[in-house]
Amino acid sequence: MTRARWFQVLRPLSPHARLVALCLSFVLPVLAWCLVSYVPYVWHPQVYITNPGSVDYLQPGMRMNKDAFADEVKDARENGKEPPQGYPANPIYLPAPHEVLQAFYTAFKTPPAAQDGDWLHQSLWHSIQIIFWGFFISSLIGVPLGILCGTYAIFSRVSEPFIEFFRYLPAPAFGALAVAILGIYDGPKITIIVIGTLFQQVLIIANTTRKLDVSLVEAAMTLGTQNMQLLRRVVIPGILPDLYRDQRILLGWAWTYLIVAELIGTMSGITWFITQQARYQHFANVYAAIMMIGIIGLGTDIVLALIGRRLFPWDRSLVKSE
Amino acid sequence: MKSRAGIASVLGLVLSAAIFGAGAASAEPLKVGYSDWPGWVAWQVAIDKGWLKEAGVDVTFQWFDYSASMDAFTAGKIDANLMTNGDTLVTGAGGGKGIMVMLTDYSNGNDMIVGKPGVKSLKDLKGKKIGIEVGLVEHLLLLHGLQEAGMKEKDVKLVNAKTNETPQVLASGQVDAIGAWQPVSGEAMKGLAGSKPVYTSAKAPGLIYDVLAVSPTSLKARKDDWVKLIKVWDRVVHYIDDPKTQDDAVKIMAARVGLTPEAYKPLLKGTKLIDVAEGKKIFKKGKGLTSLYGSSEIANDFNVKNEVYKQAQDVNSYIDPSLTEALK
Repeated sequence: MTRARWFQVLRPLSPHARLVALCLSFVLPVLAWCLVSYVPYVWHPQVYITNPGSVDYLQPGMRMNKDAFADEVKDARENGKEPPQGYPANPIYLPAPHEVLQAFYTAFKTPPAAQDGDWLHQSLWHSIQIIFWGFFISSLIGVPLGILCGTYAIFSRVSEPFIEFFRYLPAPAFGALAVAILGIYDGPKITIIVIGTLFQQVLIIANTTRKLDVSLVEAAMTLGTQNMQLLRRVVIPGILPDLYRDQRILLGWAWTYLIVAELIGTMSGITWFITQQARYQHFANVYAAIMMIGIIGLGTDIVLALIGRRLFPWDRSLVKSE
Repeated sequence: MKSRAGIASVLGLVLSAAIFGAGAASAEPLKVGYSDWPGWVAWQVAIDKGWLKEAGVDVTFQWFDYSASMDAFTAGKIDANLMTNGDTLVTGAGGGKGIMVMLTDYSNGNDMIVGKPGVKSLKDLKGKKIGIEVGLVEHLLLLHGLQEAGMKEKDVKLVNAKTNETPQVLASGQVDAIGAWQPVSGEAMKGLAGSKPVYTSAKAPGLIYDVLAVSPTSLKARKDDWVKLIKVWDRVVHYIDDPKTQDDAVKIMAARVGLTPEAYKPLLKGTKLIDVAEGKKIFKKGKGLTSLYGSSEIANDFNVKNEVYKQAQDVNSYIDPSLTEALK
């Protein structure tokens, strides 16, 4: 009976089961992370030195491989000297959850050290603006073009072959050209987001448009609807809920280009924080910043999904995916 | 302000207006690119203390990732960039000519070849693997060291690795040594206890000079301003080198890169800042590493040999000692 409730083919879960599943989807990865971080001998390939003992090259705070540490301890014991001390540790590149949480908190509390520095929330806001403008410009071109391509074969034949080709080109490789044309501030960064998003956007939206129920168009034509009117009154309203969902996915796509985009030109935004912290191996801060991006991304998506439900109450696929 | 400039350039993109060649007019502030190296972070002292305004020179410093700063300079979007003498030749060969008008520092230990535990000298590396970013300064340093040790490049096996990733490469145990500069080299040693430097730039001072390279057009149009800037640099060097004011300077520099002053101070040691008086000596023509000319020739040979560029550069055309010499 209970099994049937949890595993039903193509049927929605009960509200209670949905909540459990939602929690699990976050709890499971975090649990795995805790396991690796806190339970000794799951991984812990290194030893964190607390007391160098008689070994001259060691310093408190260093990390060394387990075998090398064991050798030094054996060596010191055999020679009757003080052995080094330490505890099992993971490499510095994988901080423990509590370190990341702490870094998450302090990152926002720490005022900018440099006089011309930014607070972390200012950097984040700057990054969000880059994404917004990049996505906005991409949509300005990509959405109309995608709909046209999906509606009229001629647009599709003229533009899609080239777009299919261009979408494989790595957007970051255009960084230097973008700097040469648009300068060193936000222009080239926004351009990279646009290049990264636009071409996928046209293809995806064209595809969505093609999936419109043909009977709708035929019915409208039987009723005497003309070309432009057909596009405005039938095609666009018909695909709107799907288009909206495509845009949500594409916005996430735009975010993935942020880090490469912000490395171009002057250093700014959240990338400045991430690269600088990584250079000095403050990986707790790096992971905290990654989490911030995740939270912002997921947060926007949830809000957009809720708005979508209000806008398109008739769209069943939206409800199903919730 | 910044985001407004962004929106403006975005509008430019939308309208696909030609913004090509919007070079800096003479009324605009000079733009200098700088990145995370102690000899360049030092300028932060002048910026924070307001010495640039005091000297009456209108200049803004733009913080970059090092390679991005070279891109911006080549594209003509900044008037000058802080880089190594070797990289000035590289950007020049790529079409972004820069004239070296002043020296900020030479690496005095911050660049190093780090051997894993048990490796005591370069000789121990015979037939072994070294993780290094081929074609960059650490490669040059290694060749220089090998030569001194009576060895050849063929005696070791180079594994091409990103400098930023060398700490992981060394810790992996799959190579016997790595080449990197601070702070990366320091992190590499912290990550693998018992590893230590087997050769550093302190043994080849002047192999890597760091310079202010100015675009020829800006140099011609605003020579007086650049001279003023060099004068400010002299003040910066003395402020940092003076034990009485050093702590304050280190505090400013550490803040720029997001470190504590205590963590930053050791990095300063491996960098020999060059004031105007010493700069004049290094600007004298000569062979060998004590002269910027000699050092740049070596870098030039290295770049051609490693096919960083094909055509040997005319080193003389990259150096203009007159601005430094004009100061007393």
